[in-house]
Parts: sequence; C-alpha cells; structure tokens
Amino acid sequence: MRYDSPELREQLAAEYMLGTMPVLVRRRFERLLVSDAELRRAVEDWNARFDPIDLDDLVDVEEEPPARVWRTVEQRLALPREPPPRPGWLSSLAFWRGATFAAAALAAGVILFVAVRPSPTPPNVVAILSDDKGDPAWIALGTAHGGDVDVAPIRSVAIDAAHAFELWAIKDGKPHPLGLLAPQPGRPLTVEASVVPADGVLAISLEPSGGSPTGLPTGPVQYKGAVLPR
Amino acid sequence: MNQSPLVLQELLRKTAAGDSAAFSLLYKQTAGKLFGVAVRIAGRGEVAEDALQESFVLVWRRAAEYDPMRGGAMSWLIAIVRNCTIDRLRRRGTRPEGHAVPEEALARLAAPESASVGAEMRALRRCLDELEEQPRRAVVLAYMYGLTREELASQLAVPVGTVKSWIRRSLDRLRRCLDQ
Repeated sequence: MRYDSPELREQLAAEYMLGTMPVLVRRRFERLLVSDAELRRAVEDWNARFDPIDLDDLVDVEEEPPARVWRTVEQRLALPREPPPRPGWLSSLAFWRGATFAAAALAAGVILFVAVRPSPTPPNVVAILSDDKGDPAWIALGTAHGGDVDVAPIRSVAIDAAHAFELWAIKDGKPHPLGLLAPQPGRPLTVEASVVPADGVLAISLEPSGGSPTGLPTGPVQYKGAVLPR
Repeated sequence: MNQSPLVLQELLRKTAAGDSAAFSLLYKQTAGKLFGVAVRIAGRGEVAEDALQESFVLVWRRAAEYDPMRGGAMSWLIAIVRNCTIDRLRRRGTRPEGHAVPEEALARLAAPESASVGAEMRALRRCLDELEEQPRRAVVLAYMYGLTREELASQLAVPVGTVKSWIRRSLDRLRRCLDQ
C-alpha cells in the first residue's frame, strides 16, 4: 500500500484512532508512525477531535484500579518511593552513562550492571547489540516482572529519513520481525518477553522507512547481540 | 472526580521534567477514570490492568510530547489508554468472556439527542448527531468499546463491508464538521 496520498493518510490516521483497523494493518501503521512525525500529528489531531469531555454523558465509568498497577509502574520505571523527586532512570543522563559503561563491561564479559544503579528493582539486561566493530550500541532491558523487554540505543545511532532500524529475533537461523526502533534513547521499543528467544539472537537491520516490506530483513544487519542467559 | 484541565496540564509538564512526585499525583488524579476506559473496552481483569500499567509507563516517557495547543490533557491520556488496551486486546485475538456492550448503552446510542439537553451542545456531540443512526452507532461503539469491524457487523447485523464504508464516510464527515 502507498502512504503518500493525503486522503489515505488522513483516513488511516482516523481509523487508527478509532481502533477498527485489522490487526496487521494496525501493526504496519504503527511501524510507520515511528518514523513519520506528520502522521503522528494527524493521529494526535484525531485524538483531540474525539475529546472525551464531549462524550461525558457516555464516559461514566470510573473505577479505582488495584494497587498493584501503580506498584508495577513504579518498579518498571525504577521511580523513587519517597521524595525528593529524581528523574527516572530512562531519562537520566547518569543512567545512560551508566548503561553505556555497563554495556561495555558486559561486552568485556564482566557483569556489573546491577551495581551501576541500585534502584528498587534494577532492570535486567536481556541483550547488548553491537555494531560490526563490536561497539555496543543498543540495549534490551527486561522489566522486573518479566512481562516486557525495552530496546533502546545507548549512544547516537545515525540514520536518514528514508530508512528505519528494524528489530528481529533470530532463532534457529529464522528471523522474526519485532518492530521499528526509534534512533533516540527516550523512545524504547517495548516487546513482550515471550517473543525474545532464550538462546537466540537479537539483530537490527537497515530497512526502508516503513519497515521491511517482505517480513524478512532486506537490508544489511547493522547491530546484533546474543540473548544473555537469564 | 473532576480534574481541572490546568492542573493535569501542569502535572504533565512536571512529569516531562522528571518529577516523579507530580507523576504519582497525576496517576492518583486520573487512574480511576482511565481504568474505567480500559475496563469498558477489555472488561475487568488482566488486560485492562496491564494496559493501564503500560499506559503510565508511556506517559512517563512521552510526557514531553504532550502539546496543550493540540488538545486537552485528559484526551491525550485517554488516547494512550485506548491504544494500549486495544493493542493488548487485538494481540490476544479474543474479547474476554462475558464482556459485551451493555444493552442500555446501545439504547442510549440510539437516541443520543436526548442525552444532550441544554443549549450548550458540545462540538463532537453535535457533529455525531448529524450522522445517520446506524453509522453513528458504529463509530461510537468502536470508540467507546473498542469493537472490531467484525464485532460491529455482528452487533449491528450488517455485512463487514457496510461497516467499513460507514466508518470511513462517518469519520470523513466528522472531520469536516469538527474542523469548520
């Protein structure tokens, strides 16, 4: 499908907001959103058009969630339990410095990560992905409860607008697409832990901006790393 | 709970700056309503809880992307929760057992103009009322309950292709009406 017609883009943004796209179209659209800021704005505009305040007489459900929801949020983000407030680890420069160091240490075979940031529940390293010179560039971090894995760069990774980084899980030589990665640290790709094979490899290939059109890597593998034993 | 939009906006701004106390307060102020949004789509249980949890992780990471010029803080938050809930539901492939659209909601949707009494009719409400009854139901059911095209087709007893074109045309008409 071509995504350059303004009407089609508007239509897709609207249907994405509404949630009625078939699941595969939705996935593909989400991959496109990662690299297309204008399309993200079109979706935001649709979200704003459906201002729920306008539907207040229908949005009447309110119900306190169980306490474990907030506890998990706190643990996943390693937020401090008590004031004074500190920035969360994902946005903190100290964390990224620490993570880069930990990645280098891990690459050298030294498991040091947990010592870098002894926050309530340190995220566990699932894999370190390095370039062909062996320099670590991406880190895959598991969350405390094993539900999800976040993948984000730990240093600047240059890419032009015509291309995207796509993450693959490789098991027994077969690649399985996991999604497109944003090249900045603040927006990790979250995947379910179950799709990361325990004795497999995570790899990142260079693909056209909407992701591989075939479901298999079409560009060169730029980064890869073995999934570490858990 | 009636949250002041400006308070939420300020809490989001502080959250974007890494203020975890503001983030915690934002959760306390909005979790009830947002959980309600997730529960309405996915029913009570794991999917709704996981979606709410995932949503707040995203709120922490993406708070800086919230732009007050482009819409209210609550609609930004609700959009994240709807997305996470619909994603999790679609990934499962099935709706939780026993979770259906309540009959009384369907009845209300059939006669929306009765719900919007008073001179001050909101924009979306007014534009929805300009749609024909069945297409309007399809759009509102999808928005409120996260129904798929197939679920809408069976709920409204029409072919999937009809639902598809209703939705497409209705969204287009809504956009023209709302952007006037």
